[in-house]
Amino acid sequence: MKSIKERVYSRYLQKKGVARQLSAWQELLGKLISAEGKAEALDDMLVLDVSYANFSGTIAASFFAEAGAEVIKVEPPEGDPARVMTPFGVHVDGVGIPYLMECRNKRHITLDLEEEKGRENLKRLASKADILIETFAPGEMDAWGVGYRQLKEMNPKLVYIAITPYGHYTEKAKEMARIPWSDLTSQAESGLAALVGDLPDEPEPYNWPTRAGFLAAGYTSAVAAACGGLVASFFARRTGQGQMVDIAAADAYASCVGFPPTIGYIWKKPRYRYGTLDYGLCPYGFFKCKDGYVAVACFRDQDFRAALKILGLWKIEEDWRTLLDRITDDIEKVKELNHLVEEAVSKFTYQEISEKFARYAVKAARSKWRGGGLPVTTKMISPREVTEQEHWQVRGTFARFGVVTLPVTGKMSRTPLRVKWLSTKIGQDNDYIYEKYNLKR
Amino acid sequence: MDGDYFSFTNKLFSPEEINQKPEALAGIRVLDLSHMIFGPTAARFLAQYGAEVIKVEVPYQGDYWRGGTYWGKFWKHSNPLWHYINQNKYFVAIDVKKPRGKELILELAKKSDIVIENFTSGTVEAWGIGYSQVSKENPRIIYASLSTYGQYGPLKYFPGWDLLAQGASGLLSVTGYPETDKYYKIPDFFGDFYPGYFAAMLIMIALHYRERTGEGQYIDGCQAEILMRALHHFTYVAATGQDLERTGNYDPTCAPSGIFKTADGKFVAIAITTDVQFERFCRAIGREDLLADERFITAQERLKKENARLLNDLLDRWVREKKEAEILDLGKKCGFAASPVMNDVDICHDPWRRQRGSVIEVMDKMYGKFVMEGPIAMLSQTPGRTKWLTRPLGYHNRYVLKRLLGLNEEEISKLEKERVIGTWDYRVGQRPPIYYDIQKDPIFNYEGGEEH
Repeated sequence: MKSIKERVYSRYLQKKGVARQLSAWQELLGKLISAEGKAEALDDMLVLDVSYANFSGTIAASFFAEAGAEVIKVEPPEGDPARVMTPFGVHVDGVGIPYLMECRNKRHITLDLEEEKGRENLKRLASKADILIETFAPGEMDAWGVGYRQLKEMNPKLVYIAITPYGHYTEKAKEMARIPWSDLTSQAESGLAALVGDLPDEPEPYNWPTRAGFLAAGYTSAVAAACGGLVASFFARRTGQGQMVDIAAADAYASCVGFPPTIGYIWKKPRYRYGTLDYGLCPYGFFKCKDGYVAVACFRDQDFRAALKILGLWKIEEDWRTLLDRITDDIEKVKELNHLVEEAVSKFTYQEISEKFARYAVKAARSKWRGGGLPVTTKMISPREVTEQEHWQVRGTFARFGVVTLPVTGKMSRTPLRVKWLSTKIGQDNDYIYEKYNLKR
Repeated sequence: MDGDYFSFTNKLFSPEEINQKPEALAGIRVLDLSHMIFGPTAARFLAQYGAEVIKVEVPYQGDYWRGGTYWGKFWKHSNPLWHYINQNKYFVAIDVKKPRGKELILELAKKSDIVIENFTSGTVEAWGIGYSQVSKENPRIIYASLSTYGQYGPLKYFPGWDLLAQGASGLLSVTGYPETDKYYKIPDFFGDFYPGYFAAMLIMIALHYRERTGEGQYIDGCQAEILMRALHHFTYVAATGQDLERTGNYDPTCAPSGIFKTADGKFVAIAITTDVQFERFCRAIGREDLLADERFITAQERLKKENARLLNDLLDRWVREKKEAEILDLGKKCGFAASPVMNDVDICHDPWRRQRGSVIEVMDKMYGKFVMEGPIAMLSQTPGRTKWLTRPLGYHNRYVLKRLLGLNEEEISKLEKERVIGTWDYRVGQRPPIYYDIQKDPIFNYEGGEEH
């Protein structure tokens, strides 16, 4: 017996004759579960990760490593300070948590770039590399004689990725060159912190700009670097021409979601912090129910109507009928509707709401007159609860190495991303890499 | 090396030369069957770097986000936020539920390098336009199915979007103050945009592989999983047995850190990560004494909760007596991370962003002057660029169907009459601006001939 949700959301799959059509695809899905024995997309690439006290560089390098590239993490003899940048100082296996998480499939070597020998060795590696990722102050690698200007002469196909707060060009980049990277300052300067936190009339410090509770800017810049690096190296594959890729962490959030400059231009006033409300939709958020927090998100009018009926709020329908009634810059109106939903939700448990939503959706899917309203919901869960969910266990979302648990994603039929090993020690692969690339001892 | 490094880089990235430079993804065709933000963002990233992206929408309905503007504010009968999400694309409207519509989509997919879709697991297969059907005739196809929970597993049929993915991935539970019951989501549909770029990354990886081997493949892009990949909280809870608690506006990976209020009522973020930075910072604020205190000498000691709290309180008091400009100057001079909290208007008018090309001014044929975010990564030889803003629903029907599928005017009129293809209805977000004479538009009324 299929669950109610399954019956609703898979309605196209239940039509006559469709089952036969799905067998090839279902067979393919069955094979997605394991990466074993599958090819690696980038196993002809060499990536140097010279990032220093900057998670974005480390993370970007991980993405290449998960896709099969040989990634050599180059550290000074005392190690990358990012190793100890960890929540409350918690270490596992002698290394901090965020760094540990990004130690996947890498080779760790030490080179002292302040000495001639170290720079010579870096040049040897760079002459063979496809990609180099670095996060030093703009101009610092150049002053050492191993910047893009010098390396491109030795290796014209090199893609050189630089990640810094303000980038490697413009007057400001030069003026601010000494300012180091941090995730928190990147969040603030790129427009994120200004939007997170409670409404203006709530007490301090809750109404202050607030940090997103993870490396939001760090991961965004990392994906930007990997995306840019892959586009550039694709061009290098086709033409033999390398280039420089420049990422500015102080623009991380704005360059990801894109809205801030357009809102500044069209609305001409900045948004203030909106608490748990939403600028675009209402209701669109998590509401406190009897046993946790449950999502109520209504986009189309029919979804909204469905939610009202289910929550016993039909009497207010007339006042909030169309999307344009519900997306307004009148904060009092938004609060009012939100409050009504909040009150209604508080009377139910998550299970009750989820079942009511699903049951309604079954009926709606069959009836033209209800306009196909499909209210959707889910429960807010903590990371611990996530790891316990059957769904993610079936998908193999978490790789485990002893006490270490790591999220992994990137299911691809031929070349899935994967975690093969964790290498955490400073200089762990010196012997192997020094010999392989003929580096000077 | 001779010459100033920045004169070299300023020339290397000169915004004036962007349009004369080649595009890395020229010749790559993407069929974008996706809606809302997650899928369209992946396709749009590829479009910014030169791919030809054909966005397929439902006639007279269109992508729901065409009407989903913030605070109900439209601009020239379009959603101003939608221009960023779907720039540089070709807009066709084909009804997949009509047999002939399905055929047209399949024909376009056969001529594409990449297909992106975000329907419920299995739906495209049931419609006959899925990976198994397209790859039969086009084995080089890279086919990305993007969804909240992925294509397989017990939750595969559950619908979702940004908000639900934030809740289901654990992401929602990590932001806010520990003593409150308010959990702040990351705004602006971050849970769609970030996974969108991540999906583009997977597609690029597949494109590299195809370039090497000629083989296409299928991608199961799972939004909630992609958000999980950005959380170190799972590793933390496995190692310590406890969920990583929320810390308000301070960052538990660096001490001191936080967002503080200045004497002139502004907010600044300060974060001290390394021991070297801590030393610079102590000297900058005249507290060299802290450098002799064993609770603060190494990062590992500073990060302990009780020590971090002492330093954050100290920093809070120091910031309250200083003006924003003084603090930022000191950071610049001494070399520690201090940033203003920038809002939408600050970002829009920031001279650094304008110079860099992070915020760009576009002159569009249909909409005129517009200000938007530039590309997420700056490439010196094959820079990303905005060529045009979005277009009304079905605007490129003739252009695409005549050029790619060789249909003639008679066949197209017939498809229109049968409502297999179509354009906009009365609703704002779908139709052209009122001042614009669409009947004279050579692309909309494309007869054949020269490239767009």
